[in-house]
Amino acid sequence: MSTVNQQLDSTIQVITPENIAFEYQVAGPFRRFPAYFLDVVFRIGIEFGLFWMLSLFSIAVGSAWVGFWLVSFFLIGWFYGGIFETFMNGQTPGKRIFGIRVLTVDGRPINGLQAVMRNILREVDAGPMISLAIVGGPGLGIIPTGLVGLLAMAWNRRFQRLGDLVCRTMVIVEDRPWSHGVARFEDPRVFQLASYLPVDLQVSRSMSAALAQYAERRKFFTVARRREVAAHLARPLLAMLGLPHDTSYDLLLCAMYYRLFIADRKQDEEHAAQAAARLRARAHPGITFLESNGVNPFVSRPDVRDKGQIPS
Amino acid sequence: MKVATLLEQRRKNWSELEQLCISMARLRRAGVPAETATRFAALYRAACADLALADAYELPPNTVQYLHRLVARAHNQLYRSRRFDVRSWGRLLMVDVPQRLFHDRCVHVALLLFWSTFIGSALLAYYDPNWSARAMPDAMRQQLEENFKDPLGARPAEANLQMAGFYIQHNTSIGLRCFAWGVLIVPGLYETLTNALVLGAAFGYMGRPEVIEGTHFFEFVVGHGPFELTAIALSAGAGLRLGLGWIHTGGLTRMKSLQQAANRAMPVMGAAMVLFFLAALIEGFVSPTALPFPWKAAVAVFSSSLLMFYFVVLGYPGKAD
Repeated sequence: MSTVNQQLDSTIQVITPENIAFEYQVAGPFRRFPAYFLDVVFRIGIEFGLFWMLSLFSIAVGSAWVGFWLVSFFLIGWFYGGIFETFMNGQTPGKRIFGIRVLTVDGRPINGLQAVMRNILREVDAGPMISLAIVGGPGLGIIPTGLVGLLAMAWNRRFQRLGDLVCRTMVIVEDRPWSHGVARFEDPRVFQLASYLPVDLQVSRSMSAALAQYAERRKFFTVARRREVAAHLARPLLAMLGLPHDTSYDLLLCAMYYRLFIADRKQDEEHAAQAAARLRARAHPGITFLESNGVNPFVSRPDVRDKGQIPS
Repeated sequence: MKVATLLEQRRKNWSELEQLCISMARLRRAGVPAETATRFAALYRAACADLALADAYELPPNTVQYLHRLVARAHNQLYRSRRFDVRSWGRLLMVDVPQRLFHDRCVHVALLLFWSTFIGSALLAYYDPNWSARAMPDAMRQQLEENFKDPLGARPAEANLQMAGFYIQHNTSIGLRCFAWGVLIVPGLYETLTNALVLGAAFGYMGRPEVIEGTHFFEFVVGHGPFELTAIALSAGAGLRLGLGWIHTGGLTRMKSLQQAANRAMPVMGAAMVLFFLAALIEGFVSPTALPFPWKAAVAVFSSSLLMFYFVVLGYPGKAD
């Protein structure tokens, strides 16, 4: 889609066997670290659990349990991620909780070899190791800095660390889908203004995308902000459509959105009546509509409020 | 048709697909009923078609983004990870891998470096007692002497198993580290050479006539030694191949070259893993037992000749790449 800036939104396009292209959002280091941290916690938990369980068996098998524990410690340490990503479709428990998933760079699921290798190579990505002892701190073992992985991520568009580069994998965000639908308007003047628009209103693709972006986000803006944002598009439009120049910019864009995306001319009356009824039900006395005394009824009026809007 | 009407029609399908994605993620693959699966496929194709026509319908950007996410989610539910492709492993292991090993320069270099350092260090440690003191950390020597104080047969079996467990995780970790750090070449070579030095010094020191623990030591290591040491050298070779990938690109982009090197290194690493596994089996079930030395030596001779057969006889027919 042309309106999405791929560089800024860090999306990657994938073409499926169904021959359509859809977009993934790639997960950066700050999404991946919490998941990894959680996995480390789980891993330590499993190791402690095993330690405890095996030490109970020590009555039966003597001190051989230490050998078993060392081997399982080694296996869990190196293969935890690889095994989970193989059998949980590219996710470890931490990744599942944080909603990210490993895929190949062409958007297909990974195979077992890729899962195991990218996790073995984490050893390098976590490096270089430093010890606090070199700066005079307590020598509490070595601490991975993760600089190699961060550098590799900065080097390419898909935020791949070295292990990902070698195995041709990437980590993507798998959000719950966002909400969808069309914007709703509370101000009945939107529908009334819409009937003043030309019958054969046609706009370009990019214009209708811009209108949709504005109308679906305006509920997060204050009145002053709406006016400021809408002005850029609305001023030339007012001139083009031959409407009075003091018409509310916000109302105009909403009316155009309404006309293009929601309804035809013949439903205007009905929608306007419904909106007016809703407003009256919320007790807004003193609002009258379309007084024909020569004053433009579509100037912005701070006393008609949309839901959740705070007049500045 | 207005977008609002269209969305009204599609909304039910989309939310049903969303629900199916969630419920199918919970069920195992075998547990998804047939009608659910076909329903899912139909809804997925419909969503794909909606996304493909989004531009023609002039859907608002929010809805398009929603569709992208919905389709991505369903796509990941439909196409699942391929586990391990076991069927192709036979040919890979008996034909492709030995030929690659035999002709791969990086494997040659790694084997040469590892074994020459190892043997050199062992000889030095054998003839010069100072060498082992310098090459081997004191803690390691004490641990070695402690571990091999008594004959293997005279110790409780569980103590032997405990020792085997320790050496399995210790040495396999060395191998995996040699591989991983090989991506950056210098740390990989450092890891390989220091480990060859230390291991060689340990072998040489234990071989000295005045070290009485030596006989027990060799009784323990001789069985699995050939597999394990070769596996470490192979891992180092695979790592070196990866590292050369992004330095010596041969006219490709660095990324492409690294991926090509990875394709060449993976079979080598796979062979190393198999060797580590075999070594661990021997280490767990043969080495720590009280089997007489000639038997263990026979295991070593057998495994060495197996390796030779694998590398040379199976490897020779291929051509260098």
